[in-house]
Amino acid sequence: MKFLAVFALIVFCSSSFAEPGSAELPPAPGPATGLADSAALRATVFGTPPQDIAPLPDTVPMLEMEVALPWRQPVPQIFWFDKRLRVWFSAQKKPAPLAIVISGTGSDANTAKLSVLRAILYGAGYHVLTVPSPTFPGFIVAASSTGVAGDLMQDGHDLYAAVGQIIAHLPRKVRITDVDVLGYSLGGANAAIVKSIDATEHKLHIHRALMINPPVSLFATIGRLDKLYAVSLGNGDAGIERFYQQLYAQLANAYRASGRVALDEDFLLGAAAAVLKTDAQFSAAIALSFRIALSNVFLAGDLYSGAGVVTDPAHPPKVGDSLEETAQILRSKTFAEYFTRVFAPYYLKRLPNATVDSLVAQNRLDVIGDQLRTDTDYYCLTNSDDLILDRAELGWLTKTLGTRIAVYDHGGHLGNLGDRQQAADMLAMLDGRWQGSR
Amino acid sequence: MRARIGCAVAVLVLAGCATREVQFHRWPAETPAANNKADIARMQGLQAAAAAAATLATPQASEQAGGAAEPSPPVKPDDAPSLKTYDPWARLNRFTYRFNSRFDEALFLPVANGYRRFVPAGLRGGVHSFFANLTEIDSVINYTLQGRLHRTVRSFGRFVINTTLGIGGLFDIAARLNIPYEPTGFGTTLARWGMHPGPYLVIPLLGPSTFREGVGYAVDYGTDYAINFGDLYRGGQSWGLGVTNAIDQRANVDFRYYSTGSPFEYETIRFLYMRKQLIEDAGLHKSKPVPKPKPDEPAGK
Repeated sequence: MKFLAVFALIVFCSSSFAEPGSAELPPAPGPATGLADSAALRATVFGTPPQDIAPLPDTVPMLEMEVALPWRQPVPQIFWFDKRLRVWFSAQKKPAPLAIVISGTGSDANTAKLSVLRAILYGAGYHVLTVPSPTFPGFIVAASSTGVAGDLMQDGHDLYAAVGQIIAHLPRKVRITDVDVLGYSLGGANAAIVKSIDATEHKLHIHRALMINPPVSLFATIGRLDKLYAVSLGNGDAGIERFYQQLYAQLANAYRASGRVALDEDFLLGAAAAVLKTDAQFSAAIALSFRIALSNVFLAGDLYSGAGVVTDPAHPPKVGDSLEETAQILRSKTFAEYFTRVFAPYYLKRLPNATVDSLVAQNRLDVIGDQLRTDTDYYCLTNSDDLILDRAELGWLTKTLGTRIAVYDHGGHLGNLGDRQQAADMLAMLDGRWQGSR
Repeated sequence: MRARIGCAVAVLVLAGCATREVQFHRWPAETPAANNKADIARMQGLQAAAAAAATLATPQASEQAGGAAEPSPPVKPDDAPSLKTYDPWARLNRFTYRFNSRFDEALFLPVANGYRRFVPAGLRGGVHSFFANLTEIDSVINYTLQGRLHRTVRSFGRFVINTTLGIGGLFDIAARLNIPYEPTGFGTTLARWGMHPGPYLVIPLLGPSTFREGVGYAVDYGTDYAINFGDLYRGGQSWGLGVTNAIDQRANVDFRYYSTGSPFEYETIRFLYMRKQLIEDAGLHKSKPVPKPKPDEPAGK
């Protein structure tokens, strides 16, 4: 059923759709608002070409761990399958450093991107532990102490505690010589925060942290993604339906022309290049992949906080209930609306001195700006055409990290993850051999 | 008594009544180098196919090829079914989906993973080819019923080659001779005859389907039982063979229930499955325009 995942990428992009960004958030300037350049958009969607991937090992052992965490909140019925946190561990046979890898927005602990990172790190001699993003529903339900995901510090504390529990339960024969943490996209920011927490709590003894294509300001980024969506797809259900109809017709015509007897994975991989044609379609696919993740975060946050935006707190949906109507309502919800109607009310109630502005401010990487500046064990890999950063944010990263950042000219958002140069730089940074960009 | 205890254990397992703080599941090792090599080969194959298709699409090339086939009337955006899916049995389907997920996690997937871990790849390949070869019998019958005689000949040729040169189907010699495996069944025959997919249907243990495909599965099984090729489908050996076939199929399907972590997974799979069916149906009737759906009529109705 791998074809379903590819099919989802092409067709079911229409699962979450938006209105323009809320006026309550500050505007989000950046390359994405004018649409990033074509190469960046294509790199972001297609990822690193397989022939450019760094050398990979022949085999990587895979141990799945399902951990029950004691601080888990009561589980809403419709999330019954997410009670335990699921992570993956690949152990070396000899003593080795441990690399903890945090997934990107809304993703689990076994994505294709994580597979590439896992293989590269394992091949370089690391034990590798991959963990989901704190915005993955399986994490929100099993490991979040609030159920309302998206707060950098709170998610960082939940991650830190969860990783501590997992490491305590690793097989006894595993010998760890050092601990590094890294992550991609939002997971990159999470990784830096986790290291900063460890600097005060000293439980995991994390040595180095590496951020790969991280955001700088979560709310500037989500504003930019909302705008990317609005620019590429328009507003409301009509735009969404039109986009879906176009993709459906293109796929059906490509399938008719192919002469195949089944719509399988090979056909879809071949058709993807033909179906997505314009910059607007690539932009829509990118914005949609983030929006699909938002549907789950929104629903979980709504249930846990009792906000009542898409569910009735007095009568939450039960196992077996149809969620079609809820999905339809969520199609019109933006990141901005999640912030203003679920996230902010919850945290404003919880933190008496907080304001909307302070919530926005504390969800920037500069909450750990001093550590990033002074602690030489923080590193970053990013691209100058990454559409989740604007010029000012990239400048801030470069200025803050100095020589501890590598900025590539092309790759968009994660479109060069695991390529030879990036993999070599990643390993040099984690190994303390990094001499600065050439 | 034993049966009662067995039932109780099965119920507990299927009910997810695991209470240990940490559970470990060892999976087959990933093979990144080989996977990457396969991805590169696949990409090159797709590029070559795209280039060949582009060459054939030129008028000059079409003439050289003896004239192009009559072009299909294009599917237009307005021909796309609505975003909704026809699912009048949703409550039962959701229950079956949950049952399938629990069965898969508790029994099916661990057994399939054990099979992948402990049985050598060569042997697994042989088993897979063996069962694939048996499905050629259904393909021969159904391609004939569909009136696609060139495909009937191809499936029959594959069956003969693999059953003889491939030692009872253990080796897919036909694929090496560039005769690809393209199975079909009675569900597709019904589609060819003009039957609509009908309501979405989740079949116990098998998973997503439609009413039409469900009928197709039943008829295919009945056909196999009636023909009873090699005496494989009746008697004690049929159970062992059926279980092995199921394990082989599961081991070759890259899907895990609720790996999305999302409560919308049922809706997502239903949406995708029905569109897949409808696009395949459009491919079966190339010379006809796709019927325009009525406004707001759920897909599949």
